Amino acid sequence: MKNTFAVEIQGLTKSFKDFKALNTIDLNIKHGEKVVICGPSGSGKSTLIRCINGLEDFDEGKISISGNPQNPTKESFVSDFHIGMVFQQFNLFPHLSVIENLKLGPMKSLGLSEKDAETRARKLLERVKIPEQALKKPNQLSGGQQQRVAIARALCMEPKLMLFDEPTSALDPEMISEVLEVIVDLAREGMTMVVVTHEMGFAKKVADRIIFMDGGSIVEQNSPGMFFKKPQTARCKKFLKQILHH
Amino acid sequence: MFRILILFFVFFTLGSCSSPEGTWGWYVIDPSTKAGWTNIKFLVGGFYSTILLSIIAAFLSIFIGLVVALPAMSDNKLLKLFNRVYVEFIRSIPLLPMLFWVFYGLPVILKSMGIDANIDAFWGAIITLAISDSAFTAEIYRAGIQSISKGQTEAAKTIGLNYYQTMRYVIMPQALRRILPPLANQFIYIVKMSAFASVIGMQELTRRANEIVVTEYRPLEIYTLLIFEYLILVLLISFGVRYLEKKLGSNESANS
Ligand SMILES: Nc1ncnc2c1ncn2[C@@H]1O[C@H](COP(=O)(O)OP(=O)(O)OP(=O)(O)O)[C@@H](O)[C@H]1O
Ligand SMILES: [Mg+2]
Repeated sequence: MKNTFAVEIQGLTKSFKDFKALNTIDLNIKHGEKVVICGPSGSGKSTLIRCINGLEDFDEGKISISGNPQNPTKESFVSDFHIGMVFQQFNLFPHLSVIENLKLGPMKSLGLSEKDAETRARKLLERVKIPEQALKKPNQLSGGQQQRVAIARALCMEPKLMLFDEPTSALDPEMISEVLEVIVDLAREGMTMVVVTHEMGFAKKVADRIIFMDGGSIVEQNSPGMFFKKPQTARCKKFLKQILHH
Repeated sequence: MFRILILFFVFFTLGSCSSPEGTWGWYVIDPSTKAGWTNIKFLVGGFYSTILLSIIAAFLSIFIGLVVALPAMSDNKLLKLFNRVYVEFIRSIPLLPMLFWVFYGLPVILKSMGIDANIDAFWGAIITLAISDSAFTAEIYRAGIQSISKGQTEAAKTIGLNYYQTMRYVIMPQALRRILPPLANQFIYIVKMSAFASVIGMQELTRRANEIVVTEYRPLEIYTLLIFEYLILVLLISFGVRYLEKKLGSNESANS
């Protein structure tokens, strides 16, 4: 297992109608690696990570998850190598309490007993530092708390890979750090992760590699040190200048 | 409350019988006379069929509507097409021709297939009402389900829920609050449309009213009573639905 990649992408191409959202993407992600993806709006960042877990089908190319080739249209999301996902808009289930949000996946798709699911959920609420909110409904929580619940909900499935799609973009500035802290902790524990974000401080801290996308292609990738010090392309330079000066 | 309202109305209009130009003849349904009381009992006896007919048809329609609506949300073009054709076709057929077709035509078709099924007025009316209404309930489901954001389905997928589980635990509980009020509206529609069952001989409220009208020749009084009979039914449903909505609403007041 360790000699395969967690994610192997070759020649991935995807169009919406006649608009090419992804253009022959090649990307390999090692087990335990933390990859940060950035790039201007519409560059295909979301589409790329949504292809990885099958929320989006693709036209050409190959994606293998831990050595297993994926179908362009994935019918089952349950596997030994589960992929968790955290969305920009949280997407918590508003009719369920926090703890029920967490228990639903383990009980219904992993077949855990109510008791085991409850234990697991409580543990994860501790880990994202909101054990006292278990019985509240999502919209009774702050944005930062909601996103931490969403992270806990994903972790309840014991994923081997976590995808984050701009997890802090919908948050008020003062709540960003509490969410990033949770993700940093997760990174420290060795989780393989792909994070789409424009939080460059966070990227410097946890990323093994930063990828810059534009126009559906990977334009540049490098270690954080080199990425910020010596951006190779004009597009990347311009992008960095824009986001670092805001 | 509305009982008082009706009494008030009845007394008010009864009063006008005494006027010389008055053409009212409330004696036909005057409970203090033996003939009037018999008529009333006969007319009110229609409630049983109307209610039973409506409830069974409504339940069938709620079920068929869901079965018709779900394919509309699939990615499969054929399933989508099935939904569109069913809805457009069924909702374009007027109730009366459909009723005749089911009652007189369907047995012929079944017979040609070797099934010797006799469709009586009761089931003929139920089948017609249920199918005709199901096109509308299907659209109600579709609107309700599609009003739930796509992010909910995606989140459900990423925690490994399959289609059925996603519908059952994530989408439907949220959609139900939006589906319930228009569904109740449809139930009222069914109750009223059940009057058409009278033309194939179903002994419900309207049929009974017609029969008394023929023997007594007092259409105004009897149809007035008939209207109030439907009014009572519809008001009862409205109260029931309002109660249900309140219950659902307060349970999920924490909803966004
Ligand atoms: N379902 C869709 N139908 C049509 N076009 C789409 C769809 N989803 C994305 N696109 C288009 O594909 C392109 C890439 O979209 P994507 O969401 O991957 O960009 P992004 O890099 O995540 O941008 P952002 O920073 O705004 O989230 C965009 O131009 C977008 O308009
Ligand atoms: Mg995006």
